[in-house]
Amino acid sequence: MREIKTVTVLGANGTMGAGSAAIVAAFGKAKVHMLARDVNKAKEGIEKAISSIKTDTIRPRLIPGSYDQDLEKAVSESDWVFELVAESYEVKEPINKRIAKARKPGTIVSTVSSGLSIARLADAFDEDGKKHYYGTHFFNPPYKMILCELVTHAGNDKKVTKKLGEYLDKTLGRAVVYTNDTPAFAGNRIGFQLINEAAIKAEEYSDKGGIALIDAIMSGYTGRAMAPLDTADFVGLDVHKAIVDNLYEMTKDAAHSTFKLPGYFQKLIDRGDLGRKSGQGLYKMTKTPDGKKEKLYYDIKGDLFVPVPKFDIPFIKEANRRIGEADYIGAMNIVKEAKGLEADIARYFIARYVSYSLSLVGEVVDSKEMTDLAMGTGFNWAPASAFVDFLGGPKETISLITKAKLPVPEVLAKAKAGKPFYQLKDILDARSLFKG
Amino acid sequence: MKDAVYVLGGEQTDFQRNWTKEGKTFMSLFREAVQDGLEKVGLTPDEIKKLNKQNRIGVFVGNFDAEQYAVQGHLGAFLTEVDPCFFGVPGARYEAACASGSVALDAAQTKLRSKDYDVAIVVGMEIMKTVSSSVGGDFLGTAAYYDKEAKGVQFPFPKLFGKLADVLLERYKLDEKRYMGALAEISRINYANAKRNPKAQTRSWFMNNEHANSRGGEFNMAVGGRLAITDCSQVTDGAALVVLANKNYAEEFAKKKGTKLSAYPKIKGWGHRVAPITFEAKVAESKGDKWVLPWTRQTVKDAFDRSGLNTKDIDVFETHDCFTSSEYAAISAFGITQPGKEHEAIEDGVIDFHGKKPINPSGGLIGAGHPVGASGVRMMLDIYKQVTGTAGDYQVEGAKNGLMLNIGGSATTNYVFVVGK
Repeated sequence: MREIKTVTVLGANGTMGAGSAAIVAAFGKAKVHMLARDVNKAKEGIEKAISSIKTDTIRPRLIPGSYDQDLEKAVSESDWVFELVAESYEVKEPINKRIAKARKPGTIVSTVSSGLSIARLADAFDEDGKKHYYGTHFFNPPYKMILCELVTHAGNDKKVTKKLGEYLDKTLGRAVVYTNDTPAFAGNRIGFQLINEAAIKAEEYSDKGGIALIDAIMSGYTGRAMAPLDTADFVGLDVHKAIVDNLYEMTKDAAHSTFKLPGYFQKLIDRGDLGRKSGQGLYKMTKTPDGKKEKLYYDIKGDLFVPVPKFDIPFIKEANRRIGEADYIGAMNIVKEAKGLEADIARYFIARYVSYSLSLVGEVVDSKEMTDLAMGTGFNWAPASAFVDFLGGPKETISLITKAKLPVPEVLAKAKAGKPFYQLKDILDARSLFKG
Repeated sequence: MKDAVYVLGGEQTDFQRNWTKEGKTFMSLFREAVQDGLEKVGLTPDEIKKLNKQNRIGVFVGNFDAEQYAVQGHLGAFLTEVDPCFFGVPGARYEAACASGSVALDAAQTKLRSKDYDVAIVVGMEIMKTVSSSVGGDFLGTAAYYDKEAKGVQFPFPKLFGKLADVLLERYKLDEKRYMGALAEISRINYANAKRNPKAQTRSWFMNNEHANSRGGEFNMAVGGRLAITDCSQVTDGAALVVLANKNYAEEFAKKKGTKLSAYPKIKGWGHRVAPITFEAKVAESKGDKWVLPWTRQTVKDAFDRSGLNTKDIDVFETHDCFTSSEYAAISAFGITQPGKEHEAIEDGVIDFHGKKPINPSGGLIGAGHPVGASGVRMMLDIYKQVTGTAGDYQVEGAKNGLMLNIGGSATTNYVFVVGK
């Protein structure tokens, strides 16, 4: 692989494009051609890049340009072309054709697609181009979320993959997760499975608090700073739909039915309620008559926004207390033994998360450490393997999964008792992801 | 030093964590640090119970200001909350501002050398993100002479160490651009080193010489005279634990582990000196002296005298870079250069990770983080890792002897330990 001195970023005006360009310019000290639809948009991208990483020193290395005027020249002098244009074959394939014509042999070309087939996108290139074509799936915002899924396809050269992985890791400071060319790769497949199933369950329990109830059950003590439906609202319901629709179409695994987008999501999308970016979606912030901020949630049955109630769920209070005192096993014991609907739902989702994360080993990734790293650094969710330890080990976890009538992953069935199941302790302290 | 004190190992918390954001208290920090540390060393609750029954073990807690940051005192007793095996174990808290960890280490080694106890568990801890940085800055002001140097001053310590930068510049008639460039390079090196340390606070943060040199702008605000944000260590939550033992127990422990006593490094020398507390008095006293911080230099010399070693014997240093100016002054205090020539060692790569005298391979306080009361213990742990070849990606090749300098206040309380096999 050539030394990466010059990079072209396509889609440099978006948050992800600008943030990624900043990483490459700052950590990689590369000159970056920042291309957008027009040069003014590219200039906006430069300002975003600088403020994302908080250093003006990268400014001289960021060069604005447009697709129409500058693409061929920029690509021809680049060592890496990083494409972040809209997530569809219709947009990406024509651009790839132009890149393929302009690129010099040995230039890496990668896409930040979160779900399209890398092999199909690589088809626009000649043999050398295919060899150097990858998915480099960064997470948003790139300076804070250090995950990069490095997606390979059958046409890649292992030596180039190794060098590119080292560059992403050692130079750009990414947590590199190697994944196969499978739908949504590792992070989004696991993450959006859980989010969409939470959305389905919210509908099922819409008369008991729906969206707000499910998020309350899946709060900090289950190893996440942001609850799953709040996350969907944050990323945008349209983005959520694009990912789960693709997964529903492209996968046929044991969780297949859980990728079906709930009807109320579609209803909200159709009327432009896409989440935080459009002001309302699953949630909405408002002010009470006395001027205080108030969070409302979407009541699915009533088709209206109502205040998020303060749920009084004793086992969650107790689990939170234990987490707050760094007693993680104690907290999971509370969850395991609690009675009632909310506890049943909590146990089901913990079991589902562990079961599904570990079931992808072999198909999507080579080791459980890869799914653990993906969830820990891409979503800030406590990795599945850490749950296994806190639940009391493989045997206890298998029992939880079996009771939830979910598949027991092979890697868990084969695990040895008495040995910590989580192996990334010195890389990622999973305890930090549990919130008390 | 006749009676050897051995370092059996230890552990630190991930200094990137913000325990308040995690909804956890200082107690959780304490619990995780102690549980992880003892597990890493291999000291079990049953063994602690047995040692306690024989009155052979004590606990030494280094902490600066839990009263203000966490509204809690009496930390020496807090191990009893971690595990019942600590019921009855003698424990106390030791305080000397940013040198609190070292004063705890010193108390521990004294008890071991006198054979009052055979084993000492030393924990350093500070939780600091419970308050805003300006409120925390005021708390830290109590490490200076509060009424004279900190009361009503926003961020007093960057200002005090900014004054140190001024004095160094003036006293040695340095070229300002070259000198400030050297300070920026100290920052660059510490951040670069931190990238190899999986427990460092800034391991994913961006820094380079150009950015560190761009003082005064929107992204690198001036905070203390000549010093900008990139010249400062950060507010950090964290704890570290080491286990020390005298020969009585180290031999027993080695046998149990199926290893030799020589597998464990010893504290070969130490120094402890206190300079006048106000910075003004320090400067006035040192006029005419070769060193601007003569008591810091004296502390290093004391440790060398006690260990029978000298600068040439030290393969790795961990120093108190609360600010770039403090690391700058430490270079000549260690004897790496003559005073006033420190920038030459920086420019020539002498103190870089692959240099002849690497300083702060861990990232130091600027890169690894500075949970005030934990820093001394963290430094001891890092020197232990270096001389036992267990520092992983930040291992200095072939390190046999290491030296740590931990200071409290504006170089007021000075502590040095020399550790090696």
